[in-house]
Amino acid sequence: MSQKYVVCNPDKCLGCGICEFVCSVVKDKSLAPSFSRIRQVNFEPTGSMAIACLLCENPPCVIACPVEALVKEEKGLIRVDEHKCNGCGWCILACRFGAITLHPTKRVAMTCDLCDGDPECVKLCPFEGALIFSTLEEEAHKATKGTAKTVLRELANARAGSST
Amino acid sequence: MFGYMGKVLRVSLTKDKITEEPLEESVARKFIGGRGLGAYILFNELKPGINPLGPENKLVVATGVVTGMPLPGNSGLNVMAKSPLTGIWGESTAKGFFGPEMKATGYDAIIIEGQADSPVYLLVHDGEAQIKDASHLWGRPTREVQRIIKTELKDERTQVGCIGIAGENLVKFANIMFGFNHFAGRTGMGTVMGSKRLKAIAVRGTRRVGYAHEDKLVDLLMNRLKSKEALSGPYWPDGLFKYGSLADLGYWQETGRLPTMNFRRCLFPGYDKVTAETLASSPYVIRNNTCPHCTVGCNRITKANDPYELDPEYATPEYESTAALSSLCMNDNLVAALKAIELCNKYGMDTMSTGVTIAFAMECYEKGIVTKKAADGMNLTWGNHEAIIQLTEKIAKREGIGNLLAEGSRRSAEKLGSGAEEFAMHVKGMEFPLHEVRGMKGHGLGIATSNRGACHLQVETDDMFEGQLDPDIGIDEKTFPKEYRDRLYTGPEKVKIVKIIGDLFAVFDSLVICKWTAYPCGGYKTGTLVDIIATATGWDFTMDELMKTGERIFNLCRAFNVREGITRKDDKLPRRFTEPLPEGPYKGEAFPEDVFERMLDHFYRLRGWDRKTGIPTREKLEELDIGYVADNLEILGIIPPIRKRKR
Repeated sequence: MSQKYVVCNPDKCLGCGICEFVCSVVKDKSLAPSFSRIRQVNFEPTGSMAIACLLCENPPCVIACPVEALVKEEKGLIRVDEHKCNGCGWCILACRFGAITLHPTKRVAMTCDLCDGDPECVKLCPFEGALIFSTLEEEAHKATKGTAKTVLRELANARAGSST
Repeated sequence: MFGYMGKVLRVSLTKDKITEEPLEESVARKFIGGRGLGAYILFNELKPGINPLGPENKLVVATGVVTGMPLPGNSGLNVMAKSPLTGIWGESTAKGFFGPEMKATGYDAIIIEGQADSPVYLLVHDGEAQIKDASHLWGRPTREVQRIIKTELKDERTQVGCIGIAGENLVKFANIMFGFNHFAGRTGMGTVMGSKRLKAIAVRGTRRVGYAHEDKLVDLLMNRLKSKEALSGPYWPDGLFKYGSLADLGYWQETGRLPTMNFRRCLFPGYDKVTAETLASSPYVIRNNTCPHCTVGCNRITKANDPYELDPEYATPEYESTAALSSLCMNDNLVAALKAIELCNKYGMDTMSTGVTIAFAMECYEKGIVTKKAADGMNLTWGNHEAIIQLTEKIAKREGIGNLLAEGSRRSAEKLGSGAEEFAMHVKGMEFPLHEVRGMKGHGLGIATSNRGACHLQVETDDMFEGQLDPDIGIDEKTFPKEYRDRLYTGPEKVKIVKIIGDLFAVFDSLVICKWTAYPCGGYKTGTLVDIIATATGWDFTMDELMKTGERIFNLCRAFNVREGITRKDDKLPRRFTEPLPEGPYKGEAFPEDVFERMLDHFYRLRGWDRKTGIPTREKLEELDIGYVADNLEILGIIPPIRKRKR
């Protein structure tokens, strides 16, 4: 099993931005979304979602770091060594999801550390199922089950339709 | 000053001049912001009797202490002016992303005066404001205007509040659309913008508000998020999230109080086709939508193809809108009702006033006051959803009969004559909200005495307090035993609840906090408001002082109305409510005139207003620390000069 990470379900996310506040409070004791490790985006009228570190298998941010401040830990977590980091921003350019950003005051890279395995944003998200702490395997399993359910329902409907 | 930006922007469109004024702390503490601040500014600056559509009217867009605070329910702003629909105090609250963004530009309020020669829009960006040409935006629908401005400014985060063609055409109940899906709907604030040729207000701000106790702010937010009980709230057991405000429709039908057929009936035969449950199980809902930092998520976005094409940019099924365009007009086609809502939002007019005015037209048609020829060949029979949609379009464009109906139901009835006044459901000129007051007497009194005409958001009691109490504002079991909180009870205790809630809601609209995130609707306990204000501003308000502030604001708005000629004779309900309900659990229940007048007597006594005229007395105004209002009314000869009495 791979490491659990913060997944956002865009069908359930409403774009309230509470996760950004929670993150900035928990990590920096401040109430500014710019301090947040999770980023929330809105697309009117169709959807919203939040993006945190996806724990890539082969993280481009780690590869890009010229001063070796970023390390991929055994469990998949990206750890930033704040003493080594010089804020050059190569990791930010390397990440395709914008999941790693620059700390507004410390000027070093910051990314989701999963709150030591119990992410606060997931716990305090007001909309059930919008933010999930899960693994890729679990998500794949859920998707399979969801699809199977739909297919089976449609089959049943089709049969009921043909018999009448 | 903590909790505020401390500045007010004044824009004169006639002179093309923009100035800045400080917001005095003494004013802020006395009137808080939002409705209170607007009432203070407009009472001082507007002369009584002016033309609401002339250059002398002023439009105030004001935020409050809570606006922009990192708390659920923080996104409100209030738009105020003299209303062209009612000719008295006009105000409307909107939520969404505009309010916080506007506060972040560095201004607590924007005052717009004068009249531009050609279409313009106002851009406020971090303490700098410009009046820009909007001739290319004139005539365009609301969302398109927002998109064009965003593209033009090359900034997606700009928030835009704008009017549609209804506002341009001076439809008397035009609204202002703030961002996506949020409206300052009632009392025709969009009409005032249209008369000033101001197509839009665009704001973009990055400034931060300083708070007195930033550390406590964190605790406030975290406590709120952690208390799961507060997320649903007692008044909404199923949660606004699941069904939205449309959940009300089923509730009113079950309890026999769903306004139907222009308030002639109270049960809608086709109700199961338009309930929230039907909508939730239909394929029309794409997703929920929410305001910033909100934990409720009441709003929803819909899309459909059959029998009408619905644009998800505009179609939002709220209770008042849906009921006005379905049950009230006997229309059981949900998509048709949503289509009419979509058109209202696209053209920028109030869905509630539109629905009630259409129901009025349908009743006039049935009674033969409006003939088929006068109705442009349309068949205005009850439930004809094609006619409802055509009428909506015609009202916005002021075509044919739409030109008459665009004046609102009161003026239309006056022009039509032949007894059409009986069918116009309004108080002081504003169309009725979708609440059957024969089955909730306190609410009836609240609507009749509300400062902006028939409005359900200035006072809401009855059902809300049947199952719950709120000791913070003095509604406890001892003072108000269960029988006094019954929806049909009309005694002095009920009147007292109406007064308390009137003051409380004045505070809500001044803070400006969303009523669906605060007690009694669910969420913050009322006592928490004091903590919120203390955290933001450092002021040591007590609950009593806060309620007194609410009363001050309520009285100031009343004084504004009194100057425009409102007296006891205007505090009344349409005559239809004195007739008994024809069906359902409350069959035979009426709101007789003598019962109402008795309640009104109690109400004036509790408010400290003159019993015969309904005008606030000097004693009351001085007690509320707004003696200057009494002086002003005395100069105008509205209240007697007590001090100069000969001995």
